[in-house]
Amino acid sequence: MNPAVTQTTPQVAAAQGGFFRMIPGILLLAIIGYAGKVTEQSISAYGKAHHTALPNIEYVLWAILFGLVISNTVGIPALFRPGVDTYEFWLKIGIVFQGVRFLLGDVLKLGSASLVFVAIELGVSIALMTWLGRKFGLKPKLTSLLAIGSSICGVSAIIAAKGAIDAEDEDASYAIAAILALGAFSLFAFPAIGHALGMGDKAFGMWAGLAVDNTAEATAAGALFSDAAGKFAVLAKTTRNATIGFVVLGYAIYWAKQSQAKHIANKGAFLWQKFPKFVLGFLVISLVATLGAFTKAQMTDVANLSRWAFLLTFAGVGLRTDLREMRKQGLRPFVVGAVGEFAIAGLTLALVLTAGPWLGF
Amino acid sequence: MNKLSVDWWSVILAFVATALVLTGAMPHIPW
Repeated sequence: MNPAVTQTTPQVAAAQGGFFRMIPGILLLAIIGYAGKVTEQSISAYGKAHHTALPNIEYVLWAILFGLVISNTVGIPALFRPGVDTYEFWLKIGIVFQGVRFLLGDVLKLGSASLVFVAIELGVSIALMTWLGRKFGLKPKLTSLLAIGSSICGVSAIIAAKGAIDAEDEDASYAIAAILALGAFSLFAFPAIGHALGMGDKAFGMWAGLAVDNTAEATAAGALFSDAAGKFAVLAKTTRNATIGFVVLGYAIYWAKQSQAKHIANKGAFLWQKFPKFVLGFLVISLVATLGAFTKAQMTDVANLSRWAFLLTFAGVGLRTDLREMRKQGLRPFVVGAVGEFAIAGLTLALVLTAGPWLGF
Repeated sequence: MNKLSVDWWSVILAFVATALVLTGAMPHIPW
């Protein structure tokens, strides 16, 4: 089975042996992330000292690459796993801190614009994935998981849906492997396409947030393009994440009607349970910033806290990507995912490029 | 830690850190 499914959540790790079990892995994330930052700074300082124009490779990419090398050569020793699995926790904290960089009015304006894009993206990707799944003869529940993973937010959506639609572990492993492999590809492909097309920070950030599946990869793809693009990628992706409950509920009702999943009695409670709470945290911090509670220096401090939290996340993205494990999962779900993702990336790019100028990006 | 979800813990920790910044209890955070 794919370790991505069996991975220890921080809660489980805490229950199994307390917070202390997570410390070695968290330190590893910090060391790898910091090594990425030092590498970027060292290359830039070397270029300046020798008056040479060296390519500016962001710390984001270095942190991911260092993580990838470790996980795909020596692997992650068991001692470090509980802490490494906290990378999503740092991502969520980083997103809450990002609220300081947005005035609430901008969140509502850009959020509602991206909500329209998200609605189109959701409809098209669910329809497309369902059609592709049938065409390639994938199991119906695997198709559902792939559709959910590609339309909303990757791994967490698949894990949320797995329980709700009673899917098998193996199907979840397949769907997660496909989404993660495509996420890794998007990390490198999206910034290259964005630069080739001469996209602006806002437009690129919105595109990455709409089209890259996993929240960590979407944030990293945005940050790889530019700091400002990273900010907009987080906003668009957070809007997409907020819809997770509705989509998973829709699938749960569908499979319950087929008598292949449990009925959901209290739909309101289900929606609240699946709603990503860090979105609320993001909005609260944005509200506090809008009310003028922060000085300029304090806003910089909170934004820097977000950067440090993301540093741990990006190291985790590399460490968590096990290419050997992905190869074992077989080609068909990956092909379905890839065909669907290319179409979704193209569609969202067209949306952003055509509607963007009217919306001011 | 066991009763609250990771989501809630991330919000709580972020709020505590932000409150420390607002009250001046946290030193300047460089990048």
